[in-house]
Parts: sequence; C-alpha cells; structure tokens
Amino acid sequence: MTTRKSPGLKPLVQVDSQGGTAGSGADDLAETRIAAVLGLKQFTQRPVRTLLVKGLAGTGKTTIALEILKAAGKGKGAYISSRVPKELLEMQIPAMQKTLQNQEFYDIRLEDATTALDFVIQLTGPKKVKTIVFDSWDGLAKELDQKERLRAEKTMMALANNSGAQLVFVSEEPGATTIDYLVDGILELVRVEEQDRAVREFIIHKLRGTKIPQHKYLFTLLEGKFTFFGPYAIPDYTKVNKFVRRPDIDGSYSFGSGALDRLFGGIIPGSTMAIEYDENVPYSALRTIELPPIINFLSMGRSAILLPLPGANDERTNSILTKTLGESVVSDRLRILNVVRTSDLETTQMQKNVTPNEIHEMVTRETTTLREKSKDQSVLLVKSVSALENLFASDLDSLLEVTSQEIITLAQSHDAHILFLAKDSPIRSRILSMSSSYAKLFVRDGTVLMFGVKPHTGIYVLQHLEDPTSPSLTQMV
Amino acid sequence: MNSLSATSGTDDFATTFANAVHGGLDKVLGQSGATAVLTHMKMTSNLPDPAEFHKKLLTLFGKEATLSLERAIVRDLVTRLKWALDLLSIEGPFDFNTAMLKIKKGMKA
Repeated sequence: MTTRKSPGLKPLVQVDSQGGTAGSGADDLAETRIAAVLGLKQFTQRPVRTLLVKGLAGTGKTTIALEILKAAGKGKGAYISSRVPKELLEMQIPAMQKTLQNQEFYDIRLEDATTALDFVIQLTGPKKVKTIVFDSWDGLAKELDQKERLRAEKTMMALANNSGAQLVFVSEEPGATTIDYLVDGILELVRVEEQDRAVREFIIHKLRGTKIPQHKYLFTLLEGKFTFFGPYAIPDYTKVNKFVRRPDIDGSYSFGSGALDRLFGGIIPGSTMAIEYDENVPYSALRTIELPPIINFLSMGRSAILLPLPGANDERTNSILTKTLGESVVSDRLRILNVVRTSDLETTQMQKNVTPNEIHEMVTRETTTLREKSKDQSVLLVKSVSALENLFASDLDSLLEVTSQEIITLAQSHDAHILFLAKDSPIRSRILSMSSSYAKLFVRDGTVLMFGVKPHTGIYVLQHLEDPTSPSLTQMV
Repeated sequence: MNSLSATSGTDDFATTFANAVHGGLDKVLGQSGATAVLTHMKMTSNLPDPAEFHKKLLTLFGKEATLSLERAIVRDLVTRLKWALDLLSIEGPFDFNTAMLKIKKGMKA
C-alpha cells in the first residue's frame, strides 16, 4: 500500500516559525537545527550514508528523521512508514506537515520485508532520491530470523551505497542489533530526569568519518521541531543593543527581560528573589540575570545597588551599563560595591576586617542616599551571597542574621532584592526559605539550563540570541 | 536428435542457472532481498541470458556488490553441478559472462 501526497492540507504551524521561545531570537535558533549543524551537516553532505536513529517511544525519533528528510530538499526524499499513516503523522507533528507533503510517502504497515525492499529498490534505482527514511525498520525486521534480517539490511546498504542515497533507519530497539554494525552513524535519543523535570538528550554513538566534538547534546521538540543546543557560548559584548525600557507589569517591576518576565511574572515590590547556581554555570550566563533588572530599574528613573559575584569583571559591567544607559545615569543612581575588592572597602572608609553588620550598615546608607535619587524612592538591591560568604567565612551566623534582617526590612518597603547564591552555600536553605521566588541555574552537556522552583516552571535553555546582556530562554519539551 | 539434444542442454542450463540465481542471491541478500531484486528485474520466472542479468545487477548494486552477488551465483551453480570450483579454471579477474559460458560449454560436453 502506497500513500502519495495528499493535496489541499495546510500546515497548522508554519514550518519555519520559531514561536515558544521566551526570547525572540527566532532566526538565530533556526541555525541550531539538527540537519544544518555539526555531525549531521556531514550527513547531509553525504560522507555518512546510513544513519540509525534509536530510542524509546516518544523520544523524538520521527521528528529528527523528518528534519533530515526536510534537508534533502523538495521531492528528493522518501518516507517509508511501517507504523503510522501519513495523515496521522501530519496530525501528530503539524510542523512537519509541509515536509511530508513535499516528499514521497510509502505506507507499508501491512506489507512484508520483500515489498519494503522493493520500495527501496524502486527509490534508489533512478538515483533521484537523496534521503530515504525507514520508520521503523525493526517493525518489519522482527518478522525475519536473525540471518535473514542481516541479509536484508546488507541489501539495503548495498542499494543505498550504489545510488548515493542516504538511508535513515528509525528503531525502537534499545539494544544493539545487527544494523548497529552496518550503519555509518548511530544517534540515540533519550529522556532523562533533571531536577524533577524531563530533559531530552541525544547521544552520538558513532558517525564514521566525522569528527565528533561532543557526544551528548540537549534538544527540544518545541512546536514539533527538533532543535538541539550546543554548548553555552559566551556572548559578544561588542554587540550590545540599545536597551528597550520595560514598564512595570501589574504593579511588579520588570526584570528588564521579556524572557524572565514571562517566566516569573516580574518582581513584586518588597520581595526577595533567590537565584541558585551550580559552580560550573559561566558568569556571563549569570550576568544576563543580574544586569537586565538593574538596567531596567535605572532606565525607569529608579536606583540600584550591586554587590557583584566573586570573579565579576567590574570594568566590563561598568562598560555595559554605561553603553546602555549613559555615564550620568550610572554614576548618579547606581552603586557597585565589590565587597571582595579592597579598593571598594577603602572607598567606603572601612577596614579590611569589616563585619557583616558594617556591610549591612553601609548598604543601608547607600540605599538611603540612592532612594532620594529614585523617582519613586524604590531601590533594587542585587547581591551576591557567595561574595559575602567568601568574606565572612568564619562568621556565617552573623551574615545570615544580617541577611535575614535585610529581607525582613525590605519586605516592608517598595524595594526589590535579588540574591545570587551558590548551590553549596552553607546558608542556602535559610535564605531560600525566606525568598518569595527562587530560580535555579545549572549546566548539562555544556548547555545552561534554568527553571523556577518558586513559582514552579518548566525547564529552559539559556542562550544569548538577541543581545549579550539579555537571556533568551527556550523551553525544553 | 542433435537439435533436440541441444535444446535440452539449453533448457537444462536455463533451469540450473535460474535455480543458482535464486540460491546465490538468497545467500547474500536473504530470501526477501532476492525476491525483491528479482521482482524488480521482472525475473522471478523467466531469467534472461547471463549477460543481460549481469547488466541489470550492475545498475542496481554497482560494480563491487555485483561481483559478490555473481560469485555467489557461480558458487551455487557449480555446487548444483557437483563440480569443483577450480574446474572452472578462469584466468585473470572474475568475469560472470566468461564463467557462465564455461559452465554452459561444460554442461553440453
């Protein structure tokens, strides 16, 4: 049984649209599409002729196979389905409807291995078809004995090899089968649990003749499209855009980032938000959470205080802020207090053996001064708990006491508080229990991920697609 | 009589060749692969002469794979005839048509 193109059906979702991305770097995201990058670029360029895509049900095998089929070009691909009819596949993956309509579709659910092989011969014979997807081969192969299966697989390899066509086998068999040894490349798709949330990962087991820089990558099936994420890339700060001020959202302060506002709904005046991060989260990733609220606060005519993270480059921070806001705003309504840098302590006329209480008093003094300059007397305090922990390692009780006091005092004001703390912070649990919202950042397969614990959110990949100072968040689904 | 004998010899070769093609292809491509290939070539029952068969195989599989398939067919044919492979005594690289001609002659003799 062969199903040809069904005319008249329009895709429910535009194939190349990239909605659902919390940031709006839609076009840039397209660059990370599977068929256009890394090893699979090699696949589309043909050194890898045969590819096995394996994984359990629901891991995204069909979607990736269709992405590869799409890369073959209109009319140059064929999809042999032993599992799902075309109409159902179009309904299940609407983003791929156009791809399915642009390529030959063979429905072999009721056929045997001989007929399936006959289709492969028909497709490879004229040497016009570039890519053939066999979804799934195991469905048919299970009907054959081991020897017969191996021979049938060898037949397909030989046919593909002679015609120059690429064969993509989709398989639900998790273990190694005969075809594992024959194909040029093996991709395995898995769903793993990360912080009580499901994350998709693909593993490159082999890709003959191709340099594999990394074996595991995260991917999302957002909008039915296979989008994978390379390792986190430090943004290019020379490309800082003009900042667009974001007004308050229903009485809450904006994070200065559409992505963060959509995820957390803004910062409630008087509230404390805790940002917990793993030790391997790059500083530039944290900076995109740290700076936008400050920039927005200042651009709204308010004031801000920043106690940077340990290892922060104050010059760079200053340069970014000056570039986006202008020198006068930064010098007038922002105070950067680098508690681990001696020069700042000297500026504030403190001794090297400063106490948590003295820091607290200093912050209170600065807050009072800056409050006068703020258009509505509100001040944003962005503070690195890690920096203070480093400074007061021998007196953490006092630090906790002072921090608690600050959180309580702040709750009675219209100020806002963002606290950055490391995952292994000794005062972490106490601070988290006092925070009204709480987000976590961590790294997996080189990709930076973020999610909200309070409020509970899905898990997002953090990139810099629009602006180096602003986060782009793409949901993992 | 001679003419009848010649016809009978041709029939014998055609039948043996057909069986060897099925047997040889089965061994390499499996039953489903062999059936699919022969169906595609429209050769499930009437096999053409070896030269034409060689051309069709070459189009589908290319030089290297065709060589493997033809070797398997010749091996099968020789086994069916209960010959020893070295009886073919073909000099130089393997050539399907030459091997077939040799077998055909040998069957007539």
